[in-house]
Parts: sequence; structure tokens; C-alpha cells
Amino acid sequence: MKHWLASLILAFVCALPSLGEEESGARLLVSKNILNQYLVEGRDLTVEYKIFNVGSRVAFDVVLNENSFPEASFGVVSGNLKVTWERIAPNSNVTHAIILKPLKPGYYNFTAAEVSYVTSEESSERTIGYTSFPGEGGIVPQRDFDRRFSPHVLDWLVFAFMTLPSLGIPFLLWYSSKSKYDQPKAKKN
Amino acid sequence: MSKLFRNFLILLLLIMPTTVLFVEQARGQNVAFAQDAMEGEDDEVTVETETPDDVAPEEEASLQGKEGEEETVEEQTRLQPSPDADTFILFTKPNNPLELPAGKQVRILIGFTNKGNVDFLVDTLEASLRYPQDYSFFLQNFTTMTYSSVIQPKRQATFEYGFVPSDSFSARPFGLTITLNYKDTEGNVYQNSVFNETIQVVEPDEGLDGETFFLYIFLAAIVILLLVGTQQLVSNFGRKHLTKPRQPIELGTQNSDVDYDWLPKETLQGLNKSPRRSPKQSPRQRRNLRSTGSGEE
Repeated sequence: MKHWLASLILAFVCALPSLGEEESGARLLVSKNILNQYLVEGRDLTVEYKIFNVGSRVAFDVVLNENSFPEASFGVVSGNLKVTWERIAPNSNVTHAIILKPLKPGYYNFTAAEVSYVTSEESSERTIGYTSFPGEGGIVPQRDFDRRFSPHVLDWLVFAFMTLPSLGIPFLLWYSSKSKYDQPKAKKN
Repeated sequence: MSKLFRNFLILLLLIMPTTVLFVEQARGQNVAFAQDAMEGEDDEVTVETETPDDVAPEEEASLQGKEGEEETVEEQTRLQPSPDADTFILFTKPNNPLELPAGKQVRILIGFTNKGNVDFLVDTLEASLRYPQDYSFFLQNFTTMTYSSVIQPKRQATFEYGFVPSDSFSARPFGLTITLNYKDTEGNVYQNSVFNETIQVVEPDEGLDGETFFLYIFLAAIVILLLVGTQQLVSNFGRKHLTKPRQPIELGTQNSDVDYDWLPKETLQGLNKSPRRSPKQSPRQRRNLRSTGSGEE
């Protein structure tokens, strides 16, 4: 009897660490990243959110609320600023992306979005967290961006038109002299 | 029955610890808790110092007082994590934190939970690669990231950090230490060693780099040169030894493609009017004709 009791206690002690781990519940880490290399006024800006559940339990009713983009400065092209996931499994992740259009040039501080979730189905208390923040970024004016990166089709057309006289006049002179002195001879049969 | 039950219990006792170990290892593969004090930081050691006999009791008391002051200063300088703060780390790139690619960016997410009742100000995050046998020896210091974020009670926040291990560090073990510095509203400064493990810096798996690409091109060029050379040798050898030399065949002059355009019109007309000479003409007759022709002119 004593042996059985001792062995049972030992087995319980061995099982304790794993039981403790299970109790830790859901735990979310959320990253917020801007995928564009250049932030340009009037052009699409992609913001990506990644939610990782690093806990040992399912996270329920996960709500991502992005309220750091004021309507006066950014227009929403596609995607929702408030998203809900019914559940996120442990050791898994979800990705969400929104496409915005910056309306004004200048420096802008990209701050964190808010995430709230319920750690277990029984509890009603919501855990509130914040995403990582990209920090300050400069939104380049459309004109400056075009000056650097556009194909400059009109500029090249003007350049071609301006170089036409300097190339065309010598060519015409050469062609007229060629046609005058270089008459083709009639072949004999 | 009791014997069977006893055997089952023994088996359970053998299996249970191993399963717990494996479960723990599997859990901690992508995620690492690091709440302990950093490696290399020894626990407080009490050193017994003998006071000389000639020292007066008053002086001894003052010495002890000074020692006590030094100890308190040491305690203040050694920063500890706050019991009200909980940190968590996740390596997003690469997934395996124990093998980091040299010269490639490593990205991590650090979760911070304020379990207390006062605000925490997360100040900075610093990371460094250290000598694995002696953690006080720094090999590479990474940029300190300043966040200056206030985390309210019962709130969580995520911080992102990235660093690039040096190219020269490939295929060697290193001690990676990631430290989070934060303080509360009362001004108490805390430090959490978020990650503190020996990791391996490995060479990145690149399919085809510039060096190997040009090596292959160089090898291909050598092969082509060898082929051309052998072809030349074979053709020369064939010409010299295998083929018989042909005897030259004289074809004579062929008047079919003679161009008369350069001659004056009068000469051309004269040529056309003159009768065809028979092939039976002797050289003497030809000479006579030539002399008469010249006399006429």
C-alpha cells in the first residue's frame, strides 16, 4: 500500500509541470508592419498585421481595432480597420492586411493598433494589448516621387523633337547628294 | 492483479518524466522564456574577512559599516526583473532561434504584460552576441532600440526588434542575450533578460551566389576552349595525313565575264565591226595585220 501511494505521489509530481503549462492560457503577440519601401502621397500603402498565439490555449473573440489612421490623412482603399476572429488556435498565427492611400505628404508617426481577446471561453474579462509600431515615416509628395521614378515619357518626346533638326538636316543633305551622284546603272541582259 | 498494477506504476514512473521533458522541449522550440538572471552573473557570495587584531573596536564597526554600504550599492546596480511584469519572446524570422543565419536579418517579437497596478515605461531593448564560455566578453553589440512606451496596468504590448549577425561569425556557437529595460512610475528601474541562450550562427542556404555562378561559367569556357582546340588538332591531322594532295588543273582565261564598260565607245564599235580571226592564223600574219592597222591610224 505504501509503495502504491509513493508511486502515485511521484507520478503526480512528474505530471505537475505539464499541468502548469496548460493553465497559462492564450497569449497573443501582434506585429504591425508597413510593406511599402516608399510611402507616396496618393499611392497605395499596405499595412500588414500578424497575430501569433504563443499560448497553450485557444484565444477567443479576437478583435483588432486600428484607429491610428485619421480620415483626414488616410483614405481606405481596401480592407477593414476593425477585424474580428472567432478563435485563434494555440501555436498558430493569422494575417490581416489593409490598403490605405495617404492624402497628405509629410512625416507621420505610425503608432500601435489595439488588440483585445478572451483567454478562455468561460471568462468574460477581455485582455487588451497593443501591436508593435513601425514608428515615424515620411510620406513623399507625388511630384517628388515622379521626378525620381517616373519613365518621363513626355520629357523624352520633347528631347527627341529638339534633336530632330540637328540629326535630320545633315541626313537630308547627305541623301540629296547621294541620290544626285549615285544613279543606279541599267543592267545588261 | 496487484503485480500487474505495480508493473504499470513502474512503467508510468519511467515514462512520465521523459514525456514531460519532450513536451517541454517541443514547447520551447520557437518560444523562449528567460526570466532568470543572466549567465555569468554569480549569486551573492559572502566573503569572510579577518579583521586585524590591532584594529580598535570603533574602527572595526566603521569598517563593517562601509562594507554594508558597498553591498547596498552593489544590490542597487544589479538590476532585477519586476514581479509584476511578464515577458515573452518569439522568433518570427527564422523560426528556429538556435540557428541564426550569418549576414541575414533576424526578427523577433517581444511580448510585455503589466500584471501590476502601476504603469510601466518600456524604455530600451538591447541585444548582443557573447562568448559562450564567458558571458562578460562581448563579440557583437546590436543597436539599442528605444521604445519609450507606457504600458498601463493589466495591459499587454508587443515590441518588434531586428538584428543582423555578422558574416564573419558563421559556423560557431555564441551566447545571444536580449535584454529589456523598463521602469515604473516610482522610478524603479528593472531589467529582464528576455533571451539568454547559446545559439549557433550558421551559413545561410543560398541556391546560387555570384561566386559559384561565375565559377561554372569559367569552367564552361574552359571546356569549350578544349573542344575547339581538339577540333583544330583533328582537322590539321586529317589534312596532313589522310587526304591526298590534288594536282592543280589549269583552266586558262575565260572571256565570258569580261567587263567592257570602261572602254571608250569608239573602241567598242571597232571591236564589234572587226571580222573574227580564224584560229588558223599564223603569228606572221598576225604581225602583218598589226603593222597595217598601226599604219592606217
